Amino acid sequence: MSEAVIEITALVRHFGDVHAVQDVSFSVDKGQVLGFIGPNGAGKTTTMRILATLDTPTGGDARVGPFSVVDDPEAVRRLVGFMPDYAGVYANTTVGEYLDFFARAHDLRGEARRKAVAHIIDFMSIGDLRDRHVESLSKGLKQRVALGRAIVHDPEVLILDEPAANLDPRARIEFRTLIRELAADGKTILLSSHILTELAEMCDAVAVIEQGRILATGTVQEILERVRKRRVLSVRVAGTPSSLERMLIEHPGVINVHEVGDRLQFEFEGGDAEQVQLIGRLVAGGIPILEFTAHGADLEDLFIEITQGRVQ
Amino acid sequence: MSAAARVLSWLDRRSDDVSPLVVKEARQVVRSREFLLSFSASLLAGMAVAFGGATAALSGSTTSGRGTFAALMGCLGFLGLFVVPIGAFNTLRNERMEQTLELITLTSLTPRRVVIGKLLSQSVKLLTLFAAFAPFIAMSFLLGGIDLTTILTSLTLLYMASVWVGALCLFLSTLFKSRAGSGLVFGVVALFAIVLLPIGLSVFRAAVFGVAAPTMFGSGFGSAAMFKELTVLGTFWVTTLVNFVLLAKHRLSLATEDGVTPLRIGFFAQFLLTVWWALVSLFSTYRSATVETMTALGAIHLAIVAVFIVTEEMSVPRRVLHRLTMESGIRRLLALFSPGAGRGAAYVAAQMVVLMAVIVIARSLTGGLHPPAAGLRRILAACGYICFFTAVPVVVFRRVAPSRISPFKLRAAVLCAVAAALVLPDILHYLIFRPDVLDLSYSARHLINPFRTLAHWAEVEARGWTVMPLVIGVTGLLAYIRLFILGARATAQAAFADPPAVPAEEATARAGILH
Repeated sequence: MSEAVIEITALVRHFGDVHAVQDVSFSVDKGQVLGFIGPNGAGKTTTMRILATLDTPTGGDARVGPFSVVDDPEAVRRLVGFMPDYAGVYANTTVGEYLDFFARAHDLRGEARRKAVAHIIDFMSIGDLRDRHVESLSKGLKQRVALGRAIVHDPEVLILDEPAANLDPRARIEFRTLIRELAADGKTILLSSHILTELAEMCDAVAVIEQGRILATGTVQEILERVRKRRVLSVRVAGTPSSLERMLIEHPGVINVHEVGDRLQFEFEGGDAEQVQLIGRLVAGGIPILEFTAHGADLEDLFIEITQGRVQ
Repeated sequence: MSAAARVLSWLDRRSDDVSPLVVKEARQVVRSREFLLSFSASLLAGMAVAFGGATAALSGSTTSGRGTFAALMGCLGFLGLFVVPIGAFNTLRNERMEQTLELITLTSLTPRRVVIGKLLSQSVKLLTLFAAFAPFIAMSFLLGGIDLTTILTSLTLLYMASVWVGALCLFLSTLFKSRAGSGLVFGVVALFAIVLLPIGLSVFRAAVFGVAAPTMFGSGFGSAAMFKELTVLGTFWVTTLVNFVLLAKHRLSLATEDGVTPLRIGFFAQFLLTVWWALVSLFSTYRSATVETMTALGAIHLAIVAVFIVTEEMSVPRRVLHRLTMESGIRRLLALFSPGAGRGAAYVAAQMVVLMAVIVIARSLTGGLHPPAAGLRRILAACGYICFFTAVPVVVFRRVAPSRISPFKLRAAVLCAVAAALVLPDILHYLIFRPDVLDLSYSARHLINPFRTLAHWAEVEARGWTVMPLVIGVTGLLAYIRLFILGARATAQAAFADPPAVPAEEATARAGILH
């Protein structure tokens, strides 16, 4: 049975009259990578800041492991590595000193501290930067160092707010690789991003938030199955049998048949059993089927499908 | 391993014993232009002063060390009371502006450790600058005209003053989160430093050398009386320094953390210290003036504390509530220092009781002479005014606009009430009676004005106007009681609404799943 490492229950956060987070509940299992998506001002950063103990909820609670962010924030901090959407660097400080400072700040002492810093430098492949001043680094490299800072104390949970923002394509690919490696290492990761295609590749599941409310949680396919009444299917056949389009239109549940390249694409209202029936009927009708495809939607489709772009 | 590598390795090991902030800032400071400039400038100034002293000595002066030391203290005073405190202000301000403070608070460094770390790093910086001056100060001693006690005491006092101003600057830098607000405070601090520094240095010079002003230390520098006064100064230095740290810590703490309880304990200690020295001064030569001064200081302290504490929120933070329900025995007494639930009013009222008790003790020890009965009644009236002006606006505000309450608005209401008491009597008198000439001398209509009434207390008693202060005091006391009741209700509601916390043992046991 999976163990929820992050558990948010009826979380509420008001800033005066602005209800930034309203009754948000979801959980993230151990070792899971959960993408937190929503339009600007949806409440993502507020939720993440509460989880990181940088803010306090107006109501409800959030737990990291067994610890409540309200009742035991110190214990939560030991379990969490947080990377906000800003780098947070110091002047006149080298990369090595920067990481060393945060290792010390996490109460790592002596050999343990030196090993932790060396490990991070090795893991993040920033050995060449060790003696360079942090403030002189490019945005991508600063992000890399910031991720190193967030994990220098080897936390169980990582909360990353827009970690890939402002990165060039190469830096994004490298960053994605790092996240995958961390997930493979058993870290539980909650991350938000506006680059949905990348999130889809990194995340096991997503939580969609808008106007401070969670609209859906689960894998992209699970959510789409819940929110979509119709499947998008397509069929490619040998030759151009004219009967195919007629058979499809006449079949119950099939609508909006149209050509897409060398195939016919249509929407289908029905479950797996009905879909099997449809395929059986086409085969029985002598249609020379080369391909029959059920189109999975991507994260962008899901996002557009269930959010309405409203901000508070 | 080479000797240098061994030294570096040893330093690295030893650095684990000091605050990470000290290590970080030491590394930053040695590369910063500001420090390099101030260090070089102080070396140059020290050399110039020493050269001047040596020239005077060569021309036959046997006391040129005295002037040399004074000039060196001027340089050190500039560094210690201006450069280093402004640096302290900036270092914390920059952490907030660059948002690195948030990153630090996510580590094991608590706000208290952050503030202490910042203060320590400034102290290290100051020591470095002192060390740069050490050869020149030694030279001033060798030139003659000044003794070692004076040198050591002066350096100690300057160091203490610098650390104190540094702590004050750290607290001030926590007042505003916005860049504009912080910049404004920075400007005010810098301006104060520029204006106050020459005055401070002049007073210091006068106190040490007796130039152009009476000495600060009674019967002279190095005397027993001076050391007694230094003890008083030292204890206040420690308590106020601790309270600056606690205030800064409180400002940096997240809402989930209880920064209030230690702060209240700290201010209670400061209050007790004030009344303690008031009692001790009963046995000094100047006891009448000192007892009066100390009790007046106690009342001012109470008034300031009351404005901030009685106006606090009624609701008890969930974490504090859980802690209070778990505590037992004598630790429950600490509940008086906890935030919310109208305890602020109880905290102030308890201190008023202590103040009155001390005055009664003082009177019994001096056969009713110090303070005299009128003085006792005046302090009682002061307490009544404090109750009235801190509680009545709060109770009225809570009654009239309960949904718009915030501590800031309540404090504004208190200050408005005091301001109204200062000006309204004269304005209303003018509007109602339309006198040709508005007579502003103290009269019955000014009884609502706490400052003028307490200043003219003898007149109040002589004219038999004490009923009005009595009514004001009783009203204030009733308002305090009302606040206790409101607080008790808020606590009961909060206890009902909040679910019980997971016990620490269970939480720790469950934490095992993560490792």
